[in-house]
Amino acid sequence: MLRHLFKLIWNRKRNNLLLVSEIFFSFVVLFGVGTLLLTFAKYYLEPHGFDYEQVWRLEIRAGQNETMPRAQLDDVLRQVKALPGIQQVALTSGNVPFIFNSNTSAFSYQGRKSGQSNIYDADDHYAQVMKLHLREGRWFAKTDDGSHHRPVVISQNLREELFGNGPALGKIFTWIEPGPNPDPADEFQVTGVVDDVRMENDFGPAVPSLWKRLIPFDTTRWETANVVVRVAPGEGGELQEKIARTVAGVTRQWTTMVRVMDEDRLHKRRYTIVPVAGLALISVFLIVNVALGLFGVLWYNISQRRAEIGLRRAMGATGPDIIRQFLGEMLVVTTFGVLLGGLLAVQFPLLNAFELAPKFYLAGIGVAAVAVYCITALCAFYPSRQAAGIHPAVALREE
Amino acid sequence: MNSSTASATSTAAPLARPATWQPVIELRGIEKVYQTKTIETVALNHVNLIIHKGEFVSVMGPSGCGKSTLLSIMGLLDEPTAGVVEIEGRAMQSYSDRELAALRNHKIGFVFQSYHLINDLSVLDNVELPLLYRPGVNGRQRRELAHTALDKVGLSSRTTHFPSQLSGGQRQRVAIARALAGRPELILADEPTGNLDSVMGEEIMELLLTLNREEGTTIVMVTHDEHMARRTERLIRFFDGSQVS
Ligand SMILES: Nc1ncnc2c1ncn2[C@@H]1O[C@H](COP(=O)(O)OP(=O)(O)OP(=O)(O)O)[C@@H](O)[C@H]1O
Ligand SMILES: [Mg+2]
Repeated sequence: MLRHLFKLIWNRKRNNLLLVSEIFFSFVVLFGVGTLLLTFAKYYLEPHGFDYEQVWRLEIRAGQNETMPRAQLDDVLRQVKALPGIQQVALTSGNVPFIFNSNTSAFSYQGRKSGQSNIYDADDHYAQVMKLHLREGRWFAKTDDGSHHRPVVISQNLREELFGNGPALGKIFTWIEPGPNPDPADEFQVTGVVDDVRMENDFGPAVPSLWKRLIPFDTTRWETANVVVRVAPGEGGELQEKIARTVAGVTRQWTTMVRVMDEDRLHKRRYTIVPVAGLALISVFLIVNVALGLFGVLWYNISQRRAEIGLRRAMGATGPDIIRQFLGEMLVVTTFGVLLGGLLAVQFPLLNAFELAPKFYLAGIGVAAVAVYCITALCAFYPSRQAAGIHPAVALREE
Repeated sequence: MNSSTASATSTAAPLARPATWQPVIELRGIEKVYQTKTIETVALNHVNLIIHKGEFVSVMGPSGCGKSTLLSIMGLLDEPTAGVVEIEGRAMQSYSDRELAALRNHKIGFVFQSYHLINDLSVLDNVELPLLYRPGVNGRQRRELAHTALDKVGLSSRTTHFPSQLSGGQRQRVAIARALAGRPELILADEPTGNLDSVMGEEIMELLLTLNREEGTTIVMVTHDEHMARRTERLIRFFDGSQVS
């Protein structure tokens, strides 16, 4: 029977080419969207590696032509920390989590090179505010003041890139292209290793990260101080106003903006969800269109083949035989389309496109294949059943 | 009840009589009315007919008198509007869909007036078609049976052709080969020689006669050729949906 199906399909190749190309097209769309959604879903479910809840960020700006002397900044931080409801305060760089600001570079250690990594400045209290999880060593402390090199904490994935399974603590590494006369401040000494973090996006992978110890001996030329604070659960607008008033109480020339980190996260998330939802919606429309087209083509094919069906019934085919034949034909045609689509799809992991792990592409191929088979089976089922109902006497009349 | 079985017309060759007058198909009070929006056509009107095992019956009558309709009802392709069709002593209505399909497949070989070949299949595949729906026949057996049947109609050199590449007469012979391929007990042939020249027509007629004589195949053949009809053991004439002799 299968041979018979193949012959029929081959001899009707011009008709089937249309079906195969529609199926190929749907497969490719489903593969693309499926891979994207699966990737996002996978990352979404992964831990962030830090705690963004009950964390606020303060952007403290010195006014036009104003300076930000160290003593004054320390005073501000001390007074903010003293407010009831504030648990910890830390100074950091402008690329706080979930905002459109990043600072990346790559590093090398004895010939081993890292990929592009996120670089953050962080003071001694940062780990407490963000609730980073230390795997090895320790966070920065007062004892690092005398350090000749720049103390850094790195994420586990950066550690793997630079040190593999070997020891990392105390090791010194530098930029990937250090330049002719490297400054000791450009030589990084590992004091600790923390869990991987995903600080940019709910849907993104964990990017290798490095925190440099922020030692603001002189902040006079700063225009902005970026501060992260951990607040007690339930704190809200009232405390935010208090913070602003506290800063203003120290110096009227500075302005403060308080943002909730979780809101930054939700805001950033929209930049992914909106286009992806749009894409998914468009592809759903496309697939529905293709499905309707498929249904129409099958319906038309079967109406064109009424005489053949009647004849088969006259020759002793049962209704179920006819259903089997048409579903079988569709299965073979679908398999052709899926194989062609699969051939295209496997190029992505083979060529390492978009630097995505092969498992995502393979899962995307699986999802697309299952979906395409379901769609075609659904589209073929009703026309096939209709075909099975054709009476053998039809063979006598139709030409 | 306007008629019982018609008397057999004498034929040139003496035919082997079946040992028993076992009915293969019995039609009782058959009526077939085609209903279209504007008009009602009575294609068959009170037909009573028994076809016995081993008989070779020809059916004659003017165009439109209901010959093809009669054959399609005997071939279990169509249901009568009224009356009873009995196959092997059981009414057609009592068979399930599946059983009817099996009967059509195993017992009956049908030659359509307008061939009805599947254009997307080669000659060989067309001839194999009835065997495709016969459980227990494998691909090799199918091919052998089909080749044998094509041999009989003189088309063994055309097995890979497609119907569109054949002449009308060749198509008719493919249709005949298809009906023969499954070695049915009953062949219903609707003008099987209608498109053949006299030599080819004669060959097909000989083939049918041989099948009838040597294998005991029961044959009902519609024909417009008096000469051929007279060579069968029984001739039934139709006029306007009724049997007249
Ligand atoms: N599907 C149909 N719908 C309506 N009328 C039909 C149908 N099929 C046959 N008829 C009518 O029934 C009558 C008998 O048709 P049938 O095909 O049995 O004739 P026939 O004896 O085989 O003629 P011919 O010798 O030309 O083949 C005709 O009048 C025809 O018009
Ligand atoms: Mg006819």
